[in-house]
This record gives sequence, C-alpha cells and structure tokens, in this order.
Amino acid sequence: MSVTVMIVDDSKLARIVAAKALTQLQPEWGKVEAGSAREALDVIDAQAVDIALIDFNMSETDGLELAAELRAMRPDMPIAIITANIQDEIIARAREVGAAFIAKPVTGEGLSGFLSGAALKLKTTRA
Amino acid sequence: MPEADAGPPPGAQAAPAQAPLPNADRAAGSALNDNQLRAVLAAAGASGSWDWDIAGDRLFVDISFAELYGLPEADLSQGFPTATFFRAIHPEDRARIRIAVAGMLAGSSLFSKEFRVCTPDGKVLWMHGRGQSHLDADDEPVRFTGLLVDVTERKRTEERLRIAQSAGGVGTFEYSDGFATVSVSTEFCSLLGLHPADRLPVRTINAVVSEGYLPLIPEGVQEALPDTLSGEFLIRRGEDGELRWIARRGEVQRDAEGSGYRLLGVIYDVTTAKRQESALRELAETLEQRVAAEVAERRHAEEALRQAQKMEAVGQLTGGIAHDFNNLLTIIIGSIDMATRRVAPSADPRVRRSLEQAMKGAERAAALTHRLLAFSRRQPLDPRAVNVRDLLEGMSDLLSRTIAESIAITIEARGSGQAVWMVEADPHQLENAILNLAVNARDAMPGGGTLSISARNATFTGGEGDMPAGDYVAIEVADDGIGMDEDTLAKVFDPFFTTKDVGKGTGLGLSMVYGFAKQSGGGIDIASQPGAGTRVVLHLPRCHGGPAEDHAYHPAAAEHGRPSETILVVEDDDDVRRYAVNALCDLGYRVLEAPDGHAAIDLLRGAEKKVDLLVTDVVMPRMSGSELARYAREAMSGLGVLYVSGYPHDAIMHEGRLGEGVDLLSKPFTMQALAAKVRELLDR
Amino acid sequence: MIPEQIALTELERDALTEIVNIGVSRAASSLRKMIGEQVLLSVPSIEVVSHHRAARLISEREVADLIAVRQDFTGPFSGRALLIFPETNSLELVRAVTGGELSAAEVVEMEQEALAETGNVILNSCLATMANMLKRSLTMTIPEVLRGDGAKLFEVDEAGSEEGLVLFLYIDFAVRMRDIRGYIAMLMDIPSLATLKELLDEFIASVVGDDA
Repeated sequence: MSVTVMIVDDSKLARIVAAKALTQLQPEWGKVEAGSAREALDVIDAQAVDIALIDFNMSETDGLELAAELRAMRPDMPIAIITANIQDEIIARAREVGAAFIAKPVTGEGLSGFLSGAALKLKTTRA
Repeated sequence: MPEADAGPPPGAQAAPAQAPLPNADRAAGSALNDNQLRAVLAAAGASGSWDWDIAGDRLFVDISFAELYGLPEADLSQGFPTATFFRAIHPEDRARIRIAVAGMLAGSSLFSKEFRVCTPDGKVLWMHGRGQSHLDADDEPVRFTGLLVDVTERKRTEERLRIAQSAGGVGTFEYSDGFATVSVSTEFCSLLGLHPADRLPVRTINAVVSEGYLPLIPEGVQEALPDTLSGEFLIRRGEDGELRWIARRGEVQRDAEGSGYRLLGVIYDVTTAKRQESALRELAETLEQRVAAEVAERRHAEEALRQAQKMEAVGQLTGGIAHDFNNLLTIIIGSIDMATRRVAPSADPRVRRSLEQAMKGAERAAALTHRLLAFSRRQPLDPRAVNVRDLLEGMSDLLSRTIAESIAITIEARGSGQAVWMVEADPHQLENAILNLAVNARDAMPGGGTLSISARNATFTGGEGDMPAGDYVAIEVADDGIGMDEDTLAKVFDPFFTTKDVGKGTGLGLSMVYGFAKQSGGGIDIASQPGAGTRVVLHLPRCHGGPAEDHAYHPAAAEHGRPSETILVVEDDDDVRRYAVNALCDLGYRVLEAPDGHAAIDLLRGAEKKVDLLVTDVVMPRMSGSELARYAREAMSGLGVLYVSGYPHDAIMHEGRLGEGVDLLSKPFTMQALAAKVRELLDR
Repeated sequence: MIPEQIALTELERDALTEIVNIGVSRAASSLRKMIGEQVLLSVPSIEVVSHHRAARLISEREVADLIAVRQDFTGPFSGRALLIFPETNSLELVRAVTGGELSAAEVVEMEQEALAETGNVILNSCLATMANMLKRSLTMTIPEVLRGDGAKLFEVDEAGSEEGLVLFLYIDFAVRMRDIRGYIAMLMDIPSLATLKELLDEFIASVVGDDA
C-alpha cells in the first residue's frame, strides 16, 4: 500500500523532526512537505496525499483553519494537528474539525498512535 | 535503592527522565524485605516515604510514614485515600502543601517543601518533604513519590543561624554553576545595598564591585576557581553609592562527576577594620616620608656644619700662621727699614736696590698674611657708617684703571624708589672686597664683556639662606663671562682655591670677601652657570646712623721723639721687641723694655721717671696685653697704651672690631707707621 | 508602592510559583525531548516590579549579547514570554536540537529558524500548561527571534516613560552536558495581574478547599 504523508509546518526544523519520527515508524511511506497553508493546498492539488500532519501555529492561515479546509475537501483524510500549544481549548478545537492532536516536540511514541489509526482507516476506506 | 532516594542536586530541580519506575515499585520494596528497607531509609535520615498513585487515586506509604501519621499498619498494602497525605499536616501549612501537591499532580516535576506534622503523641515535627513526579509518554504524571525527613533539629539550628547571621551582619549566598542568578539572603542584599530578593542576577552582584577587583561571584571557567572563596572586595553599595569593604568566605563544592560546581559562602562588612588598617598603613608610610625628610634636612644641616667647621678650622690655622708670619715680617721689614736708613748715600747703589727689593718682597708677604687674616675673620675691622653709593663712585677711577678697556663697566646704586641705605662696614675692606670681585669678574671675561656693579636695598624676613631677618644693602658684582660649573661653585670660598693659572692668583680673593662679609654681619651669595657669567651679591647690614667722621683719612705724620718722652715696650718675641726698641730709640725716644707683663709692672713700679706710653703686644704668655694695660694704668695714671698685634684677640676685639678707645698697630708695621702712631698717642 | 489590588498573598504566590513550575517542567521536558539531555531548572523567581526595574533586572543578568525567542500572549492575562540565552550559546543549542544531522554550514543557515521553533515549543508548552491549570485560554503570537540587550528584548524604555508595574518572573535553566544555559522570563502587565489574581484564587479554592 502506497501512502503519502504531507507535513505542513512553517518551521523547517519541525518538518525535519516530524519526518524523522515518521520514517522510524513507517519507512515505506512517502513524504511531502509544505511550509504554509497555501503551499499545502498547492500540494493537494498537484498530487495524491493520504495523511496530513499540520502545525497549528503558522502565520497567515493557522493549522486549524487549514485542517477545516482539508476536512471539507477530504472528509475521510486522517489529519493531525501538531503543536506545543497544548491548551485544552486547542485540543478541543482540533477534535471539532475531526483532527487528532499531537504535542510538540514530535516523538515516535507521540506519533505512533495516530499513524496506526490512520493506517487502519486508510485500509478500510480503500477496501 | 528506590529512585526517590536519589534527588537532584540541591538548588536545582531536574526534569525527571522518562518515568522509569514501574508500577511494581512497591513490589520491589516488599521483595527487598520491609525491615531492610526501613533500615536503609532510616540511615538516610528518612522519617517515611510515600508513593502516590495518581491514576489509581491511592496513597501508599511505608511503616515509618504510617507511624508518623498514626495510620493502621494493617492497611499498608491496601493503601489509603490520597487525602490522607494532608491529614497530619499542621493546619497552617496545609493550604500551601495542597497547592504544591496539586502542581505535582498536574505535571510539576519537583516537590520540595518544609511543613509541620502533628504526630499521634501530640508532638509537632518539622518535615522536609521531597518528591518527584513520574510521567507517561504524553507527559502526564502517573505517580508522585517522595520522602519525609525530620528537620526539626535543623530548623532550630537554622533559626539560630538566621539570628546569628542577622546579628552578625552576615549575608549568605549559593550559586550553581550555569545559572545566571544566585540564591541570596536578605542580609546579603542589604550588605551590598541591593533590592531585597531571594535570587539576584550574578551580574547585579558583581556590578557593585569596584574596578580592579575580581567578581564577588566567580563565573565561567571552573578550572580557574579557587578552593576557597576567601577574599576582600571594595564595593560601591547599590542604594547609596557608599564605598564599603566586603569580606567573602566560603567553599567551592564540585559535583561528584566534576562537570559542575556550587559556591556556598557568606559575606560581611569589614570596612571599619580596613579603614583602621589603611589609616595605620598611611601613618607608617608618612612616617617614613617624614623621617626621610628629617634625615635629608639633618644631612643638609650636617653638611653645612661640616663646611662651617672646615672653614673655621682653616681659619684657625691660617690665622695662627699669619700671626707668626707677621712677627717674622715685622722683624724683616723693621730690619730692612733700619738697614736702609743706615746705608750711607755714598754706598754701593746695589746695596740700596737690594734692600728695596727685599722690602717689596716683605710687603707682598705682609699683604698676603693680611688677606689670610681677613679670611680667618681675625683682621681688625674698623667699621663705620658708609655710604655705598659714594664709595662705589669713588672707586670708579680705580676700577677703570684696573679693568681692561675691552670690558664695559656699569656702576649703579639705587634703592627701590629711595636712596641706597647706609651700611656699617670697614670702608677699606669693603673697597678691597669689591675690587677683588671686580678683578675676578675681569679674569672671567678674557674676551671682554660687561662688568656690572650695583647696589640696592634688600629686606630679609628670615629664611633667606643663613641671613638673619633685617635690612641690608645688596652689592652685586656681575659679569657675563665664562661662568663656573657646580663643582667649582661649591669650592669658591675655600682658601687657596683658584681657577686661575698657577702664579696668577692667590686663591684668597673670594675667601677673604667671604670672611669680610661674615665678620661684618652680612653674607655673600654666588650664582653662576658655565657660559652664563657669574653674579656675586654681598649683603651688608643697614646702618641707621649718619656717616661718621672719616678720621681714617688723616694719616699721622711721622714724627721724631724727644728723650724726655719715655716709652715702655713689652713684647715676648725678643727679635720683634729688639726691632721696636731700636726703632723707637732711633726716633729719639727714651725706651724701656720688658719681655712680659710681670717684668713690665715691676719696671713701672720701680721707674724713676714717668713713663708716657706703653707699647705692648696683645697676645703674651701669663699676662695678656689688655691685663697689663689695666695694671699699668693703675700703677701710672695717664699712661697711654698702644697695642701691637699680628693676631688680635678677644682681649682687644669687641665682636671682631676694635673696642672704643683702643689703639692698635697691626704687625708687621713699618718704622714710619710706628713713629706716626706713637706720636699721635703722645700728642693726644 | 505596590497597589493593594495586585499585591499577591503568600498563598497566591505559592500558587503562581506552582503553576509556573508546572509550565516550566513541561517546557523542560519538551527541551529534554528535543536535545536528549537532562535539563536543570532553578526555582522560579517571581517579583512585582516597575517596568524600569524589570529592564534593569534583565540587563544586569547578562554581560554578553543576548539572543531571545519572544512570544506575546493575550487573554485574561496578557504579557510577553521570552526564552533568553547568551548569543554565544546559540549555535550550540541549534546543534543540539537538530540532533547532529546537519553540517556546520547548515546549522548556521538554520540558526534563526531553529531557534524560533525551539522557542515556540518551549514557550508554548509552558504558557499552554499554565493556561490549562487556570482553566483559561491564551492566544500566542508567532515566535520572533531577537538579538540585543535586556531592555531591547522586552522593549522596555529604560528612561522610564512607562510607570506601570509588571510581574516579572524568571527561571534559570542549564544543560550541563551541552554547555547551554539561559532562562525563561515572563512579564505580565498589572491590569492582567488583577485578573491573574482572581484566577489564582479560583485555583487555590479548587485545590485547597476548606484548608484555605
């Protein structure tokens, strides 16, 4: 099964860290990076993306707004909001748009739950 | 060893490593054997340990904890409701401990609180509870474990220490390497004049230290750290800017692994001690300075004294020599005089010429001894009021004749807006002195130049050299000739010192002037630089009277005597006596002679005829001339006295001058001078 | 000197210290995860001071030039949080958080961005945790990397045009194995402090109950 994960974060370091954790857990999966919400939408237009990992704290369009847009486009896509802003309110808002919440800094442990759930969901959707 | 026992370094808290303790911590404890565990904990000073299961909402404690809280031992394995934790805590401490525990349950990493526990037997103990949280993968705390340590005794000690510190003005500090702030006591802040705080930035503390001192809190490279913190610092207090001295004592504690260190120390004010110390040191330093100045002054005075003693000794010597020499010259001159008178006009003219030569030589020798005496300040002076301006004007002819045409002479006598004062001095000797200085000046200007002679009034208030305060007339003789260097200048007043070629000068000129000035109650200054000429200033004391009648300018005519006039000659030197007696006989007087005072008195007492004049030497063994004169006048009233001396002494000298009414004939004397003086006295 | 309504009681101070402890523990944990080394923290220091004195406290802390990541927060209480360390530590920190996977040139190139992200993670986890404890939400700005002295970092005018009081809070941290040290500092305005005081009282009431 070919899976492509889009990592959206305005921080290159954060993208590196997330990609590293992802590679540890799912070495076979493809990765595509975007530095902003606008770039993310371009990526979605240009290629197939199965999963989105989205930073919350971004200028212009924040991660929750982007997640809401993606959700509207792709109701079934597994989406995770990644942020160090672990306020209960942010977690609640992530849930509202049907996104998982992963605290920064991203670790393999923190990511694994979401990825296994996403893999399962993709399997059933594609099946 | 249970994890909870290994705390992080004091003063710092560690974010715990990922919750390593399995839920089976208690199982491990039971496996270890409860008694063993208790022993270990007790040895560590623990009064109890707990394990708060956050997820299970249950509190597990060990038997010590249970005893402390009065919990039933039987329930240990089942655990207790978590609220039990607060039950034995003193009501006043409970609220803040609840807050702290709430923090731990919410993810705070370190628990370190002191609080009172009320034991079942009614005691109140101070406990230090130290614990940490154990987090799961999501950073959620799952367990909170810790130890209670009885610090009641330490609390008391701390209280005593706190009192001691505040009473003793001791401030404490603790610094962990790497932090930008230092944990400090209130006293610490107030000592440095800083805003009271529990923690102060290192830089804030070090900023009060004056420039040039090491920082109060050493930072950075730990290899450079000393073993102790002993040191003293000059600080400028933050609040009032006051300068204070602060002493620091303490220890450097290195971490076991050597990667970090802690500084524990105290500071206290040592300003008073430092100030006393510095006052003492200053005293010691200035003492040295004062002693050095004193020694220098003393050395200077000694040098001056030595110089004076040297001059005095030389004076004594030359005076003594001159005296003997004068006796000899008296005989020589007298004899030549006598021989000349007796040479027949028809005799070989070469005989007369030889006698004239001999007389010239003897006169030069007499002049020399006269100068020696002048230097030794033993020449008889005849001081009187002298108008310096008139004297200088009177000398201008003589000077122009003496000084070469290539040298311009200026003579100026002025007061500061007033006439130059009168001085009291021997006019002949003053002329001599000025002439001497002028000749020296001339010799210093072989290529020509200007000789300036001037006189002006000068008032000394004391402290100018060795001159007593008073009014003086300064007579200056200056040239623009070759000058002298310092070494030469230091020796110019020494007798026989001369810069002139051998045979050109006697070396007595300046020393004679010096002697004259001193004897006249004045002084002499000389200034010179090589190539810049020489300036000699002669200071003579002001005379307040008018000019005296110039009786010195009435030379007595050489008169012959009469056989009716009897003269008694007393002289211990046989040759001199014989010369005088012969001379007086030649002149036609009746002459008696005696070798000393006693013989003279006998002669006078036994004399058949009246004696008209006593001619006596001044210095004689057994009886001096003045003593003899006194006795002689008693024995024969109306007796005239003429002193003859090559070495006038106190007996006839009053402060270096002739006493009133004393007549003196200086040796060597010519027959003519003797005749004139004797005649003058007999005719008086 | 301190207006009555913002003077913290001892319990409030304890509560604030504890809440800050929770926040920085979380932040330290984040930092530890990023660099894989133990992070030492000091006990938080909390002072209510004038703007002027806050600037002095900052400028007195460090001799060297500073580098800071700043985030402003707004909500029931507003202010400014900074992660500050000597500029000389900067590259070492970047090297640490990038896990030795970058070349020296890349470290330099990434410096600004990596510092921003590190500050973002640390300050966000600290502030978010505190917000959660007080059961309120805060809005945080995008992190900004600044260089300069203390007064510049806080944008406090040392001449003292701002007379108001601020709550000044800081915690030292040190990563011994990496020779990294710095501190987290927070300034809160006094109007926010009044609100903070109310929130603290709520927190105390919920935690302490009848023991207050």
